[in-house]
Amino acid sequence: MSAMAKVTEEQALVERFRRGEDSAFDRIVEQHSAEIAALANRLLGWPGDVDDVVQEVFVAAFLGLKKFRGECRLRTWLFTITVNKCRSHRFRRLRRLRPATMEEAEAVESRDRSGDEAAMDQEAFVRVRRAVQMLPQKYREIVTLKYLQGSEASEICELLGITVNAMQVRLNRARKRLKEQLGDLLEEKS
Amino acid sequence: MNEERIRTLLQKADEAADEPRFGPVTVGGIRAQARRRQLVRIGAPMAAAAMVLVGVTLWAICMQTGRPQPQPQQIVSLEEQVKQLQTQTDATLKLVREVLERDRQDRRLAALETELASIPDPVKEIGRQVDKTAFILVYQADKLYKELNQTDSAVRAYREVIQLFPTNQWADVARERLSQIEQRQINKSDRQKGAAKCEPRNA
Repeated sequence: MSAMAKVTEEQALVERFRRGEDSAFDRIVEQHSAEIAALANRLLGWPGDVDDVVQEVFVAAFLGLKKFRGECRLRTWLFTITVNKCRSHRFRRLRRLRPATMEEAEAVESRDRSGDEAAMDQEAFVRVRRAVQMLPQKYREIVTLKYLQGSEASEICELLGITVNAMQVRLNRARKRLKEQLGDLLEEKS
Repeated sequence: MNEERIRTLLQKADEAADEPRFGPVTVGGIRAQARRRQLVRIGAPMAAAAMVLVGVTLWAICMQTGRPQPQPQQIVSLEEQVKQLQTQTDATLKLVREVLERDRQDRRLAALETELASIPDPVKEIGRQVDKTAFILVYQADKLYKELNQTDSAVRAYREVIQLFPTNQWADVARERLSQIEQRQINKSDRQKGAAKCEPRNA
């Protein structure tokens, strides 16, 4: 389906929801829930269980969809809600938990690795995910949206409310930090 | 180039991570949650306001001690008002607690239902395993007979399948194979008898 057709279909769904058709919202959930869950999972540091955030996003969408003006794509709008919900979720979690030390984080991750301790690749991937998780929020969001979610630059700017220049600067700094943390892995790959 | 390397590494690390898990999202559930939130949003400030009002009333009563003594009827009516406010506050708080508890229970139930749905039916699973075992036995017997020419071992394996899984589809296959082997052996012995009869004449 072309991008234009998608936009038209989204507009039709929003209009149907405004008229009170619940099935339109079900369709929106069906179309976007997987992407939203994937984005939340990445932004929250791959915890696996993202039920709470996904529910919160759709509750917010349900309450706000009638006010949705269609100035951006529905996907972008839902992603914006997801990013905001993930920020507050992380903030709540940080406030609730005492700051974990690096050793503790490593201990948790070694428990997560089920049995196959010798898998070097797995360990490297755990390191990569941890490096992304350790990035400051503004860099982590850009990296996730750009490299993992595959969003276009214009969509990222719209979603985070920043200019293209700011996005490029953040992206460069994020790459630099990742290179510092994962230099050996990047060299291995080459 | 560097960007491509980072992208590839991140994507591989992402693919290696667990898939995100989330429960079913339905309009009914969302609507109920939105309603509960609204109730909590309204209920909590209302309860707080009622508490403040009770406090202010009590404070006003205390402050009036220096002034001319109020009529006993006034005191009674004020006390009644305070009691009413307290009852209202308690009821609102109880309602909020109940709603939150129900919400928690609903979420727990939904999670358990999802978990239950993911468990395969044990009867079907056992049936599948039996089918698989019978198939493996028949497959091995076929191999013994066709590739290794070990007819006796193959016959034993076919009989084992018939004995262990008499009603299974693979037992029928084993029976068919046994009858084919028997037929072949009969044909072979007939040919041998025929050849034995012919030999003296030739000699």
